[in-house]
Amino acid sequence: MKSRFDPITLEILWRRLISIVDESDAAVARTAFSSLLRDAHDYTCMFTDSRGRELAQGTLATPGQSGAMALGIRKLVEVLAPGSLAPGDVFITNDPWALAGHLNDVCVLSPVLHRGRAAAFTACILHHSDIGGRVASDNREVFEEGLFIPLVKLYAGGALNQGVLDMILANVRTPEQVSGDIRSQIAANHVCAEKIVRMLEQYDLPDLDELGDEIIRRSEASVRASIARVPAGVYRAEGLIEQKEGEPEVRIQCALTIEGSDITVDLSGSSPQVDWGGNVVYNFTYAYVHMAVKSVFDPEIPNNHGIAAPIRLIAPEGTVVNCRFPAAVAARMQIGHFITEVIYRALAAALPERVVAAGGGTPATMQMFYGRRGDGRPFHTVLIRGGGLGAGATRDGEGSFIFPANGANTPIEILESDAPLIVERRELIADSGGPGKQRGALGRREVFRVPDDACAPRPPVSMALQSGRFRLPPEGLFDGKPGARAQFLVNGKPGDPYGLTHLKPGDVVVMDSAGGGGYGDPRQRDRAALERDIAEGKVSSEAARREYASK
Amino acid sequence: MRIGIDVGGTFTDFVLLDDETGASRSHKCLTTPRDPAQAIVEGLAALAREVPGCIEGLEEVIHGTTLVINAIIERKGARTALVTTRGFRDVLELGREIRYAAYDAFAQMPEPLVPRERRLEVNERLRADGSVLEPLDEAQARRTVEALKALGTESVAVCLINSFENPAHELALKKMLAEELPGVPVSISYEVLPQIREYERTSTTVTNAYVKPLTESYLKRLRERLAGLGFRGRLFIMLSSGGVTSAETAADFPVRIIESGPTAAVIAGQCYSKLFHSPEMFCFDMGGTTAKSCLIQHGVAGVVPSFEVGRVQRFQKGSGLTIQVPVVDLMEIGAGGGSIARASRLGTLQVGPESAGAEPGPICYGRRGSEPTVTDADLLLGYLDADYFLGGTMKLDAAAARRGIEERIASPLGVSFVEALWGIHDLINETMAAAAKTHIAERGGNPQVVTVAAFGGAGPVHAYGLARKLGAPRLVVPPNAGVGSALGFFTAPRAFDLVRSHKVPFATADFARLEALFRDLEAEGERTLRKAGAEGPIGFTRSVEARFIGQGSETSLVLPPGDFGRLNAQELRRRFDETYARLYGRTYPESPVEFVNFCVRASLPVKLLSLPKISVRGKAADAVKGSRKAYCPIAKDFVPYTVYDRYKLPPGAEIAGPAIVEERESTVIAGSGAAARVDEYGFLWINL
Repeated sequence: MKSRFDPITLEILWRRLISIVDESDAAVARTAFSSLLRDAHDYTCMFTDSRGRELAQGTLATPGQSGAMALGIRKLVEVLAPGSLAPGDVFITNDPWALAGHLNDVCVLSPVLHRGRAAAFTACILHHSDIGGRVASDNREVFEEGLFIPLVKLYAGGALNQGVLDMILANVRTPEQVSGDIRSQIAANHVCAEKIVRMLEQYDLPDLDELGDEIIRRSEASVRASIARVPAGVYRAEGLIEQKEGEPEVRIQCALTIEGSDITVDLSGSSPQVDWGGNVVYNFTYAYVHMAVKSVFDPEIPNNHGIAAPIRLIAPEGTVVNCRFPAAVAARMQIGHFITEVIYRALAAALPERVVAAGGGTPATMQMFYGRRGDGRPFHTVLIRGGGLGAGATRDGEGSFIFPANGANTPIEILESDAPLIVERRELIADSGGPGKQRGALGRREVFRVPDDACAPRPPVSMALQSGRFRLPPEGLFDGKPGARAQFLVNGKPGDPYGLTHLKPGDVVVMDSAGGGGYGDPRQRDRAALERDIAEGKVSSEAARREYASK
Repeated sequence: MRIGIDVGGTFTDFVLLDDETGASRSHKCLTTPRDPAQAIVEGLAALAREVPGCIEGLEEVIHGTTLVINAIIERKGARTALVTTRGFRDVLELGREIRYAAYDAFAQMPEPLVPRERRLEVNERLRADGSVLEPLDEAQARRTVEALKALGTESVAVCLINSFENPAHELALKKMLAEELPGVPVSISYEVLPQIREYERTSTTVTNAYVKPLTESYLKRLRERLAGLGFRGRLFIMLSSGGVTSAETAADFPVRIIESGPTAAVIAGQCYSKLFHSPEMFCFDMGGTTAKSCLIQHGVAGVVPSFEVGRVQRFQKGSGLTIQVPVVDLMEIGAGGGSIARASRLGTLQVGPESAGAEPGPICYGRRGSEPTVTDADLLLGYLDADYFLGGTMKLDAAAARRGIEERIASPLGVSFVEALWGIHDLINETMAAAAKTHIAERGGNPQVVTVAAFGGAGPVHAYGLARKLGAPRLVVPPNAGVGSALGFFTAPRAFDLVRSHKVPFATADFARLEALFRDLEAEGERTLRKAGAEGPIGFTRSVEARFIGQGSETSLVLPPGDFGRLNAQELRRRFDETYARLYGRTYPESPVEFVNFCVRASLPVKLLSLPKISVRGKAADAVKGSRKAYCPIAKDFVPYTVYDRYKLPPGAEIAGPAIVEERESTVIAGSGAAARVDEYGFLWINL
């Protein structure tokens, strides 16, 4: 059947869809309350056609949320009886198994009504800094981790369901921030819906489905063409991920089969689910499989449902990559972010130019501080950070990034105005980049002090982490060396990254993120590049001699 | 008499204006990139031959330049050093740490302008409220300054944590640097940009320092050369924010003149919008590489607080250096005459953002360009005349263009040759229209009521198609649209923008104290303008930026004139809620709001330009050069278009579409059904 959209009109409408979702993305940054959203951009906006197929997502989306949403929203749309939807309906949920794998990721979902029916669905997931509960990675069940919101109507026909909102706000430490962030989600969906309707009217379309067919078909064809160029076969790799002291490493077993233009990722043989918060739900595992496939095979084309079509995922239930309810899941990125790295390792021999070595931003580090200021007002702030990016075949891993997830830092000046803390340093760590023909990027250090003067908060300041790489560093590729390990010190001594740490005024916390793995034999490193590294203080002359055989 | 000089990438444009008679004279010559003052001197000399004595009689030279932006893009600035608070020298390199292309592990980031070995630290620390946590260690600071000397530093940037709340330490360092490194320019963040967020402030301050020596020496040299020609008047420089400022202020804050060049068209648009009482004008300036547009509401263009420069991946947001200074709310997209058309891997047509530029240029230029461009399509659609491009000074090769489009577009996409041609023209228009609609709508405007004003070589060719897509009712093409933007210089306000951050809840704010704050800002603005030799009354526009307590971004509200202390607080709150609901669908009147920034624009009254009337006599028919076949999208075929010589069109002449109006630097297209009229100033008004 010939499409009603010629190639030119299609391109025009496709671009419009992306600019619409980017506007809703910008609305979150402008209206949100917590710095984790407005500064660090830990959120994703997207929308689907009437059948729940993802058509466009914000350019700055974080792959974990977007990949999980692409699966999750589709199922939620099937659950909502489309005939029963009214203009002004707004749904909310944070079900980790339905969406993005932990309670902090709260989704607001709104039908876009056009000509009396739901023509599209617009959704955004915001990582809420505060969802109540015990903020730590060593909880045993999801019930300890905060408030669980099943799919409910927050607004019915434009009228607020006050009971639902009150219920949420009664369960969190900073209700003003949480309600402000929920409002921001509503604003984002509003902006998106308004623009979609305007476009449907302008082009006299009943919905987005037919346009969606065409976008999805072409995207799928593009990614398939790229996959088909790789020789058929089974590509295997294994990943080991550290857990609590004394526990054996978590194992991710990956067999990736390429057959024609289809990819099957089989994670059978991976470790059983764990008794702390590192468990990953199926959707979130899928998200980082998707990230790996898209980044290797077709990074440039806009993301949508079509990219996922060639991918089949096998993740046995009850394993760490497909945990059963009510497992603890708050720190799911501590394991989930590694899935992309394991797939890169599997594909490295076949596609050496398309992958990067392991990075210090895998997993992302999330650091929560909460407590009360001197005057009794509550604060609750969350910082995210990455580490040195792994090196690739043709270039150094330059930059301190969260990878394969994404997100920005919180400016020090914003952090200090939001929370009674002092940041003493935020700097690169010399010699932390994995040596290689291409060097891994440097890790970075951040030092916090709890003031003990007139600006001191009331003790204690509670602090929790989701992080990793304290024992197992990011590995290099093709004779590249690993990056430096991460480090977490409280008053100079190693802290417990899994539990809740109670800080008192005067305490100092050091967070070193890991450096990226190197790529290729360091002895083959270009001498001018090495000289530059030494001049910039990124590599010391001792390390140059030791690792790079420099004279 | 005054003269406006716009140094662009290819041409330097001059417009000489006699304020008494309104008469103007224009000139165009090639830009001399190595020494832009050279072209200026040559052009002025040429004008002086035509108008003897004009240089000596000049009161003002108003100048826009791409010097600063080019120095940043080409990395040709000074050997710059950065002084930061202990522990934060890497803030500049770390940036905001977000990957702008989420699925691309290889996305590149821009190199910082100052390498790590020239980023030095001093012992000092301020708290978030500006109070001193650790005093500046003078002895260690002196040692740091010594170290800067040894590094061969040509310019210094100083940016300390939380200094936007308290400049004491930065000022102390500035003094010390002046003593120890005489002659080396110093830029401190408090003076360049006293706003929260250390990376953005550092990046802006460093950029300022990076281009300061070269801007200073260029302006000095220019001044000397002008004096050599007998110029005794004052030299003004165009700001990115749309005002003009003294050459001295521009040399201190070159980071404020980065967009100096493209701003001129916007200012010209502002002027026309006021002159012709057009409440919403969409200024559209399309050149070879990019199209720059701006919505002008009630004669005023918007100003935004930040932008990016030197993107590593062209037009990809996030891949450039962040500059946080006020800049005219320009929308720049990769759409120009040189934009390259390709059949994408997805089997769709793509046009831009890559451009063939001037070298090798479109295929039809015959300079070894091999990829089809918008100009090639425009030529083959019949919109351009192969024998009258740039007034006939450059012959175009239609046959080569035809082959290129057939081989690279039509056959791979499986569409007809004509479909391919129209597709290229229409897609670039659609790209611009889609961006324009977003730009207009985000600013609360309505594309269906705007008047589109066309500038630039390609602007008048595409403005008709763009206007149709916007649903705009009318289009205006000023005479000499190619150099027309230089007219903007004469009407640019002598203005300076000031901002002060001061967080205070709406409910408990002491409005009388805030009035004092506004007066302070106004006094500072007045001082800056007077220093630039301003005479006469200075006007002030005040605005506040407010937000719900807890948010991180603000909503801007322009304040009515008068004492802030007597303002009706409820009315102000109502206006905040109204604006917020318009932007985001809902507002929350019960939630508390706070003021964050207080803004003042100080400006001198704008001299309204009296445009010269054209003296052509006769009838429209006298201007007909002939007729040629060009593509009509309604007929889906080539139909005869009447071709007019613009220089022969008298006032009152009426033209019915389809028509083509040719002038030296551009060509105006008016499609079937369009009705155009020439006014007494030679402006072509086209009703769609």
